[in-house]
Amino acid sequence: MNSKLTKELPELVENGVISQDVALKIERYYQSKSNENPNRLFTVFGVLGSVLVGLGIILILAHNWDNFSKVIKTIFAFAPLVIGQVLVGFSLLKKKSATWKEASGTFLFFAVGASMAIVSQIYNIPGNFNSYMLTWIILCSPLIYLLKSHALVLLHIIFTTIYACEYGYAFGSKTPWMYLVLIILIIPYYIKLIQNRSKANITSVINWLLPLSFIIVLGAFITKFDELIFLSYIILFGLFYNLGKGPRFDNLKLRQNGYLVLGSLGTVILLLIASFRWIWKDVLRISSFATTETTLVAVLFITTAFVLTYLFLKKRVNKLNLFHFIFIIMTLLFFVGLTNDITPTIVTNVLLLILGINAIKIGVDKMHFGILNYGLVIITALIFSRFFDTNMSFVIRGLLFVVVGVGFFATNYVMLKKQKSKAQKTLKK
Amino acid sequence: MKKKKLQYAFMLFILVAIAQLFVPIQMILGQEKVLNEGEVYKFKTRPIDPSDPYRGKYITLRYDINTANTKDTLWERKEEVYVYLKKDSLGFAELVEVSKTPLAIDNDYVLAETSWYNRNSKKLNFNLPFNRFYMEETKAKPAEDAFRIAQRDSLPNNTYGLVYIKDGEAVLKDVLINDMSIADYIEE
Repeated sequence: MNSKLTKELPELVENGVISQDVALKIERYYQSKSNENPNRLFTVFGVLGSVLVGLGIILILAHNWDNFSKVIKTIFAFAPLVIGQVLVGFSLLKKKSATWKEASGTFLFFAVGASMAIVSQIYNIPGNFNSYMLTWIILCSPLIYLLKSHALVLLHIIFTTIYACEYGYAFGSKTPWMYLVLIILIIPYYIKLIQNRSKANITSVINWLLPLSFIIVLGAFITKFDELIFLSYIILFGLFYNLGKGPRFDNLKLRQNGYLVLGSLGTVILLLIASFRWIWKDVLRISSFATTETTLVAVLFITTAFVLTYLFLKKRVNKLNLFHFIFIIMTLLFFVGLTNDITPTIVTNVLLLILGINAIKIGVDKMHFGILNYGLVIITALIFSRFFDTNMSFVIRGLLFVVVGVGFFATNYVMLKKQKSKAQKTLKK
Repeated sequence: MKKKKLQYAFMLFILVAIAQLFVPIQMILGQEKVLNEGEVYKFKTRPIDPSDPYRGKYITLRYDINTANTKDTLWERKEEVYVYLKKDSLGFAELVEVSKTPLAIDNDYVLAETSWYNRNSKKLNFNLPFNRFYMEETKAKPAEDAFRIAQRDSLPNNTYGLVYIKDGEAVLKDVLINDMSIADYIEE
């Protein structure tokens, strides 16, 4: 991209579009940028190399060398750990580049896990997998801040998620409270990233990874009261959507804003599920509320309401955008659903229709084809779902599809025209 | 100023490094203590063969001591249970009783995990914690087979785990078939 631009610079100068001075500045800017680039590539390869070597060592030691004495096996257990620590210490003391820090930190991360694994192998410690993972993650978490390592943050989130799943979803599961503690450990680092480098790749990756981790783990918190899972996820997606509209995220591109995309998609998918009547029949069966889990959902709700209020105060809420408020409406519907299963089903269907139209309107206003078609997809999915549980005649169903199909063409065409005329107007000016 | 910050960071790192070393060392010391000072018991057992992605191949041992009669009926799954033991004349472990809380008796005990409680027969099923024996990659499967063959011969109780027990901590030192270490037994 930049090489293409710099190649065009002489032509632009020749035709008097920009001055020689500006051309030079642009060239210098891209040069300084490209100087950073190979460095970043080095870092990525360094980290990948460390991951592979670390995992390789674990595998080699897992062979369980019978012929070695206990002492030699123990030395093997500590060798990678000490080497990793020396490397990290060296890159800290000598203020080595980010590549050094990321690679040595990643290696040490795996070495810590390996050493514990080998010791438990030598002594046949059956070991609880959960406490093993927990010790491993905690022992490595300070390295994130000491080395300012992005790779370690990602490893921390991934391993914490694995830990929580193993702890929460396995048979005879308990609530993985430690998950929240582990996630809080990286929040200061994340906030700093959002403040200083909101558009950097690493921030975007965490913007996706963190909400994904929450989506995966949330179900583990609700162990005894399955009907609440649905409500808690609706609220979680509402939280993500509203966060994604927050001051630090709203100006990002969609692909950098995992909160907004996941929040919106999750809301729509859950509403589609809730547009079937059977889900409300389940809600109807609820007779009492378990305490811990209800509290958890309440806390989630209050947090989301808090974020929404904050957005209101900052005048960032488009009052016509229903996505902001779905979590409130669905919570109310949930309580209506305790005594009645028809009203919520109908309301959910109406909500989806409004959301679809909403998205189309946002798409038209922003001249964004993606959002426009997203709205159309919502409506199509809604109609498609109704095909399964209504006795409409095939003719009516067919006509509906034709109408929606024509709608796709028409809206896209109208917008394309609008965009062209707008572009012409700006050119004329 | 900057140098000082670096010094702090490095000191902090040293602390982290010590913690990282401390955890495995602590594990080793704990196990060694039991091996040196603990009482040795033989547990009759049967091996099966799964594997662990992090720690390699092992055989899982299913011990003959895995149920107990108990008057207490309020048992949850995956709960801790004190299993009190005694030795018979040949050194094999025998169950004395199980309890949710420590008992004031002199017998050795281990902390096991409940699996389920059978209300009809009033029997509690539990898993002894030392049910994993790591073996060289190529030996875990033959070990399982060797056991099955050894089981078929007429000698009773010929497979057992050698377990050291001290203050509720248990370390599985070896698994023996016909009084021979299972690793050597396979090689023969």
